[in-house]
Amino acid sequence: MQDTIRREITIKASKERIYEAIANPEQVTKWFPETLEGNYEVGEQPIFGFGDYGKNQICIIAAQPHEYFAYRWVPGANHFLGDVLIVPNTLVEFRIAEQADGTCLVTLTESGFANLPIELMESAFDQNSGGWDFMLSRLVKHCEAA
Amino acid sequence: MIEAEIYKALGDPIRLEIVKRLSHRSPSTVGELSKNLGISRQGARKQLQVLINANVVHLKQRGRQTDVALDTKTLQIARQFITKLENQWDDRLEALKKYVEESD
Repeated sequence: MQDTIRREITIKASKERIYEAIANPEQVTKWFPETLEGNYEVGEQPIFGFGDYGKNQICIIAAQPHEYFAYRWVPGANHFLGDVLIVPNTLVEFRIAEQADGTCLVTLTESGFANLPIELMESAFDQNSGGWDFMLSRLVKHCEAA
Repeated sequence: MIEAEIYKALGDPIRLEIVKRLSHRSPSTVGELSKNLGISRQGARKQLQVLINANVVHLKQRGRQTDVALDTKTLQIARQFITKLENQWDDRLEALKKYVEESD
């Protein structure tokens, strides 16, 4: 049984471009959270806003251009505002690797599920369902606008 | 929340090893599962109890020996939980791809 989620996607762009989309606060809000408050820098704890679905404070762990970006968050919280590091959390990591054909492979891992307490996992389930709906509604909006 | 209990139960190398062994051969006897775990039989029994409490495995008395069987239904629920999270990340990564490739 897994403690870690691992997903991959191939993107036709340079690793610099992809890294910017992940690590630049003005760009990450174009595809992931709707809003971002606070400093989006290593050691800081900015807040991801997901519209009506709530806000999640995260802690940026690493930002290594143009290959690696990592943060910790509380996957269970619909509204987690507080010190991420003193509560059970998961580690989210993005890795960008150039491939021979000029595309990049982006690997996402989220780990730490085995250590989450029961109550948190319970709300994580709700949160993630909510997040799913949120992403879908954004996608629909995006498609309609195009 | 049943999934949480499962993950908690599996968040230990000994218990994970027990489940791995069972995934190759289920049911197994308590004696078979307790072998070469690097802990006492009593310790193994204790770890087994955690798995039983989380409904990952269940015991079945067969004559004089006790069989341990994987509770596949429970594991299936855990699988569904992980799948849901994976789908969510797939969706996010698609959004990242779309954004990066279309804004070039």
